[in-house]
Amino acid sequence: MSTTLTRAIVTADKEGRPRLLGRRGPDTPTRHGLKVRNRRETATGYTFLLPWMIGFLGLTLGPMVYSLYLAFTKYNLFTEPKWIGLDNFVRMFTEDPQYIQSVQITLVYVLIGTPIKLAAALAVAMLLNYRDRGSTFFRSSFYAPSLIGASVSVAIVWRAMFSTDGPVDNTLSFFGLDIGGWVGNVALVLPMMILLAVWQFGAPMVIFLAGLKQVPRELYEAAEVDGAGPIRKFRSVTFPMLSSVIFFNLLLELINAFQVFASAYIISNGSGGPAGMTNFYTVYLYKRGFADLQMGYAAAMAWVLVIVVAIIAAILFKTQKSWVHYAGDNR
Amino acid sequence: MFNIRTRRAALAAAAVTASAALVLTGCSGGSEPAATYDPDEEVTLNLAFWGNDVRADLYDQAIAAFNEEYPNITVNSSFLGFPEFWEKRQTEAAGGGLPDVMQFDYSYLRQYSENGLLLDLEPYLGNIIDTEPLSENILSIGVVNGETTGIPTSTNAWGMFTNPVLLEQAGVEDFAGGSWADYNDWMAEVTEASGGAVYGGTDWTGRIQNFEIQQRAAGEDLFTDEGEPNFTEEDLAAFWEQGDSIREDGTVISQQELEEIYPVSGFDAAKTASELTWDNFGAGYLGNLGEGYTELGLVAPPVTEEGAKDLYLKPSMLHSIAASTDHPEAAATLVNFLVNSPEAGEIFGTNRGLPASETMLEGAELDPLGEQIRAYEESISDRLGDAPPVPIVGYGQLEEKFRLLGTELGFGTLTVDEAVSQFFAEMDVVLNQ
Repeated sequence: MSTTLTRAIVTADKEGRPRLLGRRGPDTPTRHGLKVRNRRETATGYTFLLPWMIGFLGLTLGPMVYSLYLAFTKYNLFTEPKWIGLDNFVRMFTEDPQYIQSVQITLVYVLIGTPIKLAAALAVAMLLNYRDRGSTFFRSSFYAPSLIGASVSVAIVWRAMFSTDGPVDNTLSFFGLDIGGWVGNVALVLPMMILLAVWQFGAPMVIFLAGLKQVPRELYEAAEVDGAGPIRKFRSVTFPMLSSVIFFNLLLELINAFQVFASAYIISNGSGGPAGMTNFYTVYLYKRGFADLQMGYAAAMAWVLVIVVAIIAAILFKTQKSWVHYAGDNR
Repeated sequence: MFNIRTRRAALAAAAVTASAALVLTGCSGGSEPAATYDPDEEVTLNLAFWGNDVRADLYDQAIAAFNEEYPNITVNSSFLGFPEFWEKRQTEAAGGGLPDVMQFDYSYLRQYSENGLLLDLEPYLGNIIDTEPLSENILSIGVVNGETTGIPTSTNAWGMFTNPVLLEQAGVEDFAGGSWADYNDWMAEVTEASGGAVYGGTDWTGRIQNFEIQQRAAGEDLFTDEGEPNFTEEDLAAFWEQGDSIREDGTVISQQELEEIYPVSGFDAAKTASELTWDNFGAGYLGNLGEGYTELGLVAPPVTEEGAKDLYLKPSMLHSIAASTDHPEAAATLVNFLVNSPEAGEIFGTNRGLPASETMLEGAELDPLGEQIRAYEESISDRLGDAPPVPIVGYGQLEEKFRLLGTELGFGTLTVDEAVSQFFAEMDVVLNQ
């Protein structure tokens, strides 16, 4: 490896950035030896990659390609898939009100839940950043819900908490707000699901915390000298310095939120109720695939989700120029 | 050990002689298996069923009893809850690894049979599987397109359970029978008498079975023998509209309360005084109601049309054998034991429903509830008609859709007309899949 590098011709371009030039001319005998050695090293490299490659091709790419094919078929697991062209997609958007409802509630969940979750994560991260004594303890305790968040037990606890005569109902009744349980309430079950997601803000919070530690103190000091208050400091220092971390968290949390499954499945006991209000995209996809055995339709749904998430990610990447600031980037 | 071996040999000899006799008298019915089958061969069978710990323990006892008679057949059993059981079977069916012997559900029988996944039991009927104790009616339940692919273990019928404790508290007599409108009035009386603490019942228009028996009262099954729907959008709309008043005036338990206790029902939670369901649900209700409940009322569903044959006996479960099994004879031997033997009857009692086979029923010592179910099924004999054709492929899916639309009607998030059009759209998909 080292010989290859030393023998490669390294120059610098006009701005002084190092550049690795292509190796020149096949004329010298040493070049031939190098080629053989290169090829061998490539082979060794690929051999070491093999377990991962097999896993990727066999367990990820293969099934993905197959599911893309299935999206254009009618397939019930028992008989061979039957090619039906775009029928699955047509049915999805024109003949399946349950699908439309599922898209709507998933969008509400993602578009409302994610910003609130990020705001909560950032707020708590900033509080913890200013604390010195015992801050490790607080950090761990605020992170804890995220560790157990996806587990079955939390969803069950949530369900119990928000039922009629559960702790939440009793507390609200005490304050004169007698609205009963949330779990079976068509209007309140979605806010309840969003609350559950927001409560699990630990993962983005830890990343925000790391980002906040990177903000140079001098900037705050300079701002203070200029007479900036806390809000001004947040707007002019914290937010721009943190924007790359916010972008990262936003992207990650949006993608995660689209895939909400376990909590909804458990809280509704797999029914997606009440009245389809927890029938999120992946829950509905699962039911169509494994309960109704419409594997082709489920595969088509999965691909629509992939494409929508990809488009949203692409749009986010496009917009980052206008608001995301990278350290060392002088543009 | 010696005794068992000689007994096995004697049995084998008897079996060979018997089958030879059958062949000679021309009564074999094409029973090939006896010729190549060695009943002493050491084989291992996989047995899968749905249920819970209680039932698993009963199966263990049954397998032990089976092994006393057939020590050469090792049975490995496994069990899951009902939905998981079917998810697992579906993937096994696609991959070709179904267990040799399965507890089977009526709603999946057609799908698995038509895809050639279940063994045609015809060659074993009358020899390995004793058909004497099973009535023609019972045997015909497991026939799909002329092939017998399942043997019912037990039967059940649609009925109505009532809660004697709640009724006594409310001071209302048990439902004395009558029309659906009478039933609505009776429920309203219970709800009112209890001051709204409990309800008279659940919105019965949420169950497809109630629609089915109303249609049957008019002489129509839900689906024809060819699997075509036998009802119109108007029929369904008219059915759901019967629930409009009870949903609106609070006679029945609200959908919101049901949603919170799901998957148990209002009846399980002692919030409703009556529920229309299959008559083998009694034991489950008693279990969930717990302390203070030793008995339940079990009465006939409301009458749509005097004298109509609207009710029918359905298998609560069947036993089937995978077409891919390597040991069809041994599997048939096990099925025969589980379906017909008095030992199985003694062990299972009514855990799997009221035993369908006479010999199994004789072995079963019925508890008071079992006796009550037996008496109930006798009492409705005037209303029992022929069973509808084996459910269409995807019937389970339609049943679930029907239930979901019922909940939406309860919430008021759909109108009856919207629900009807959604149901027909779903049926379109199911029928064309």
